[in-house]
Amino acid sequence: MDISGIIGAFFTVVGSPYHMMLILIAVPVGLFFGSVPGLGGKLGIVMCIPFVFGMDAIPGAIFLLAMHSVVHTSGSIPSILFGVPGTGADAATIVDGFPMTQKGEAGRAMGASLGASGVGGIIGALFLLAIIPLLRPVILAFSPAEFFMLAIFGITFIAMLSGDSLIKGLLTGFFGLMLSFIELDPNTGAQRYTFDMLFLWDGINIITVILGLFAIPEMMALGVAGGSIASAGSKPAKMGYAGVIQGLLDVFRHWGLTIRTSIIGAFIGMVPGLGGDAASWLCYGHAIQCSKTPELFGKGCVEGVIAPETANNSKEGGSLLPTLFFAVPGSSGMALMLGAFIMLGIQPGPAMAITGMHLVYTLIWALVIANVLAVVMILAVVPLLGYLSYVRGNLLIPFVLILTFLGSYMGSKAWENIILLFMFGMLGYFLKKFRWPRPPFVIGLILGPIAEDSYHKAMSLWGPSFLLRPGTMFMIVLIVASIVYYIWRTRKQLSKPGVTFHVD
Amino acid sequence: MISRSLLIGLALVGLVGCDSSTSTSTTDAATSAPATASAPAAPAKPANPYAGKNVTYIVTTNAGGGYDAYARLIGKYLAKYLGAENVIIENIPGAGHIVGTNTLWKAKPDGMTIGTFNAGLIYNQILARDTMQFDLKQFTWIGKAAGEPRSIVVSKSCPVQSMQDLLNSKETIKFSSAGIGSASYTETKLLAEALKLPLEVLPGFDGTEGEMSMMRGEVCGQFGSTSSLQPFVNAGEGHFILTVGGTIEGVPNVWEFVKDGDDHAKGIISLVEALAKLGRVTAAPPGLPKELYEQLLAAYKSSLTDPAFLAEAEKLGYPIETGYGEDVHTLVVNALNQSPATVELLSQTMKIEEE
Repeated sequence: MDISGIIGAFFTVVGSPYHMMLILIAVPVGLFFGSVPGLGGKLGIVMCIPFVFGMDAIPGAIFLLAMHSVVHTSGSIPSILFGVPGTGADAATIVDGFPMTQKGEAGRAMGASLGASGVGGIIGALFLLAIIPLLRPVILAFSPAEFFMLAIFGITFIAMLSGDSLIKGLLTGFFGLMLSFIELDPNTGAQRYTFDMLFLWDGINIITVILGLFAIPEMMALGVAGGSIASAGSKPAKMGYAGVIQGLLDVFRHWGLTIRTSIIGAFIGMVPGLGGDAASWLCYGHAIQCSKTPELFGKGCVEGVIAPETANNSKEGGSLLPTLFFAVPGSSGMALMLGAFIMLGIQPGPAMAITGMHLVYTLIWALVIANVLAVVMILAVVPLLGYLSYVRGNLLIPFVLILTFLGSYMGSKAWENIILLFMFGMLGYFLKKFRWPRPPFVIGLILGPIAEDSYHKAMSLWGPSFLLRPGTMFMIVLIVASIVYYIWRTRKQLSKPGVTFHVD
Repeated sequence: MISRSLLIGLALVGLVGCDSSTSTSTTDAATSAPATASAPAAPAKPANPYAGKNVTYIVTTNAGGGYDAYARLIGKYLAKYLGAENVIIENIPGAGHIVGTNTLWKAKPDGMTIGTFNAGLIYNQILARDTMQFDLKQFTWIGKAAGEPRSIVVSKSCPVQSMQDLLNSKETIKFSSAGIGSASYTETKLLAEALKLPLEVLPGFDGTEGEMSMMRGEVCGQFGSTSSLQPFVNAGEGHFILTVGGTIEGVPNVWEFVKDGDDHAKGIISLVEALAKLGRVTAAPPGLPKELYEQLLAAYKSSLTDPAFLAEAEKLGYPIETGYGEDVHTLVVNALNQSPATVELLSQTMKIEEE
């Protein structure tokens, strides 16, 4: 390993006041885009491109990457405090983060999410440094056949996120899958359920769906119930740093989970084709699978916050590698980043390993520094943020709704999305009211296209015999084992009286 | 009506919302609707119609990437030579360049809106797809900044290592391409038809997924834009065996393989070559008044020949190969006028199973 190169790159970043200043500016910008529901990292890149256009390659790339890598550190704030996710990846944090706020544990949830984000970002980056020599065989080991099985593996998590009714979970999950078919058929180009409306050609906007399903129902429920989010009969919870520190310590108390989900996150990020949103959901599923007390998930379990939050940040580093070395973006955010790199005059591709290692190490260090800075910056204001959950609904609702509409429109700039937002808002309200789980819907919508696209490719390359490839067979065994284990455990749980699952 | 005012209202909120985070020299117009983009009225009877005005440059993709990069670079100089206040880049992505091109078509021909889009839309127009509201022949063509030469690349693990190998191959050779209906798929099929190449084209490989597939040894090669395949070749993963619409040292040109008197092949290759030569085009809405057209054309020419512009393009690695006004218009018209045989072939290769 090129130790001197790695250390040299470290000083390229911290030794230059210009680079450090850019990171100092980029981090709060990223935190802003992360914390406003619906904006997110992709829009952040799009908005910042005019700003970096004309900069030199390294400073420009450092700025964009530092901005983009901390989006999920703050993305958990609205998820935890209001039950309003910023992006698809942050939606996984709601499942346990929001119930914690309702119990008056907002501070602890925020502490856990911050700690997890920071640790995840750093472990993710270090994991990358370690794996660079193995990058090529690892990435090339994943063909469309393996992607297909990984997507199916993710879809089986629908069962785990279904709460007390598997049937309801499967139904919403399949509804999400069905909606993912609205787009131009990726294989044949035929219009599918698009009704000649151009805005549906590129598929239903995921941000709009998520804001509709979560933000609007939560705000409606809050308006109907009156009061504030954390007031529901609970005694004034401890605010200030006590809860936050407890949450930070939780991250280290569950160190095994933290490290595992960091590495899984970095790995999923690194394998192009799965996308970043999948990482946090797969890690959430992993946390339930490994927990000794799975029945507590969905009711405000701190592990349910730690797992997706570590993955959210560690996957950013992961997805950087294929973007730089193969010009294959590891996530949709990285697809925009790739465009931005090319614009800055960086030519990602296999040649990077020969000529561009200095840039790679520099960017990895920028990633580490930005992650640390982001945690410090939010820690400074986190006690204040916690009080937001005590703000009266009638002051909070208009504010959140404006951001929701804005977020839904800005993503793709199609006014039709506002109508979609209303429709999904209604759907989400009734799902919530009648206690149908919403996370399976998101999983279906996110993983459906991956499964479909990789299935087509695998079939055209190998025909049905792709199922006999060693990698695929291994994944099939994994999927079957995971389902059997789930059934076995559920039966054991059911035999215990008085235990019910609930995922909101 | 309601949706329109809602849109503008939101756009305004959007502008306020993001100004704090990304204030830039070229104002980001991503959020401003065309109606709100023009600046306050200039003083009465100005000598220059552009003085104090903002020009909107529509890019039919998201920010980042080739089309956006060229537009931003050209826009900077265009503002100077037009004497305009600013050239604002407006990204209108969606439906493979169609949404943005529709918007450009419907913009007022007052010289304050121009746009850049994929010349591959020519294929769609030949087939008269009804989602397109525009007629490429009627746009006011300003020019092109660069061509987009195409080439065939094969991976180093491929049994086929030259055009001779490929032409003589007994077995079909797997090539990847983007989805059916895309320019990439269409051109690969067209080339295979014209040169009688034994290709099996696997669609659905977007971006650089095709290169990954070559590296995994699943597909053998691909026919695509030379500039995007160059890094793959630079890294020693494969090499070019054919070029269309450009020159690469030591690599044969497509015309070497077209037999004399084969008019069918000639027609097809001319079409693909015309698109490769068009590349990064810029146009204004139809019906642009003559004096505004001439002013825009002159400013576009001055921008593209400005030494500072060329130096910046060189530094960023964007090739420049210019063409202007009528010349570009002629290229477009010629590309659109295809023999019935070619149209029939196109509609077969782009056959899209509609419902």
